[in-house]
Amino acid sequence: MLASFHTTRYLVGSALTGLWRNRTMTGGAVVTTAIMLITLAGFLAINDTLNQMVTELGRKSNLIAYIRDDARPTHVTALIKDLRSRPGVREVRFVSKDDALAIFESRFVDQRDILDVLQNNPLPASVELHLNDPAVVPGLAQELQAMTSLFDDVVVPLDIVEEIIGISNLARVAGTAIIISLTGVTLFVIVNTIRIAVFARRQEIEIMKLVGATDWFVRGPFVAEGAVIGTSGGGIAAIVLVAIYAQVTPAVTRIVSFLPVSTDAEFVRNLAVFTLLVGLVVGSLGSYFSVRRYLSV
Amino acid sequence: MIVLSDVHKVYPNGTRALDGVNLTIPERDFTFLVGPSGAGKTTIIRLINRDETVTTGSVLVETTDVTRLRRREVPHLRRRVGVIYQDYKLLPSLTVWQNVAFVLKATGEFDHTSGDRVRQTLETVGLSRRADHYPHQLSGGEQQRTAIGRALVRRCPILIADEPTGNLDQDSGWETIQLLVKLNAHGTTVVIATHNRTLVDTMRRRVIEIAQGRVVRDESEGGYVG
Repeated sequence: MLASFHTTRYLVGSALTGLWRNRTMTGGAVVTTAIMLITLAGFLAINDTLNQMVTELGRKSNLIAYIRDDARPTHVTALIKDLRSRPGVREVRFVSKDDALAIFESRFVDQRDILDVLQNNPLPASVELHLNDPAVVPGLAQELQAMTSLFDDVVVPLDIVEEIIGISNLARVAGTAIIISLTGVTLFVIVNTIRIAVFARRQEIEIMKLVGATDWFVRGPFVAEGAVIGTSGGGIAAIVLVAIYAQVTPAVTRIVSFLPVSTDAEFVRNLAVFTLLVGLVVGSLGSYFSVRRYLSV
Repeated sequence: MIVLSDVHKVYPNGTRALDGVNLTIPERDFTFLVGPSGAGKTTIIRLINRDETVTTGSVLVETTDVTRLRRREVPHLRRRVGVIYQDYKLLPSLTVWQNVAFVLKATGEFDHTSGDRVRQTLETVGLSRRADHYPHQLSGGEQQRTAIGRALVRRCPILIADEPTGNLDQDSGWETIQLLVKLNAHGTTVVIATHNRTLVDTMRRRVIEIAQGRVVRDESEGGYVG
């Protein structure tokens, strides 16, 4: 117990000494890590905004199926019930012939006399589907179009839907690629910083190994150094992010009001915690691998 | 006890360092490994401490088959075998006291009794007055004794010294050997690799001669040349 206390004190002391000894490199690595993590978080925020835009647009993507005048009402009712239970479908609304007429009249007040010419209501009843997920639109439209005994026509905003899906997929792929690259760059910077520290202390490492120190005892201070660098970089990035969100985001939202930028405290908190954790993990892992080649004594 | 059975060692560059070495060093023995440079003495030491692995054959240290040790078990072997290197391998940024205490820290053995242990060790090796000195402030003999102190503080049952007198003047060399004799008298197994003819001839202890990677002579009270 006491020995492990001394060991822990040695590990922490050794890590802090190492960081101080290479303070210029340490400072550089912390700043670089912070910049990388801020950029990483920025891309995550952009990705989130794009995802929200996609979801928002998806919500606005409707599908209208016009019901044949001779369709059986029981079939229509059963279908509406079935559609409501489908995933990706937010709302299914039945618009009767009378409702359609009322809507027409309210929208085209000055053209009411057009209808007076006709003896019957020419407007068809319809089923309006409001969707959460634009990806379900093509399949659903095809399915409804096949029901020729129920529907005359199905109106699908397919172009927009496909574009939304395209943007969404592109955003995901590009975002993931950028996130992986930035994590790689951060890892590279930390690995090299620790590698220099390891190289400077290679004699110490060799002696430690020769007298019977375990791999973990040798690695410990370096992993701690990497963790401190990563967490410090992550901490700076988290503070900058919180400040940016507090100061800049309201202005952006005001100027470009259509952008659904997440401003709620939980999102910002999660992003800050994520940044901190990425710093910690990348810093520790980077150091872990930096020391490995010197442990083969 | 150390037992090498039919040990062959070929380095990756093709150099055949050991060619079927068989030897047994019992507990509390005091043995000289002699032979010209390149004979294979240092390779034997490195195999015992698992700095190197055998190509074929087996190395037994006490009850441990060194050749079958897993990587994470190697530190436990090294805590029982104290190796004193020709170049001392002291940390230049640490004082004598810190160099000796460092081993206890590195092996996780440092506790509240360690201060006394280090002090006693420095007394044994005659370096109490040099405790606060750095290696560059010490003579070759004092550096050698610091290295012995580092092995001694862990109370290793086996001490192996690779050319302990190689970089020392005659007096310092003798002091070092006398210290090792004293430790042997207290029960430590001591193995000394050397090509110091005078030393071996004067001591008349067990001599194992290595030549071209083979044991060519093993005498219980031998001289440098049989």
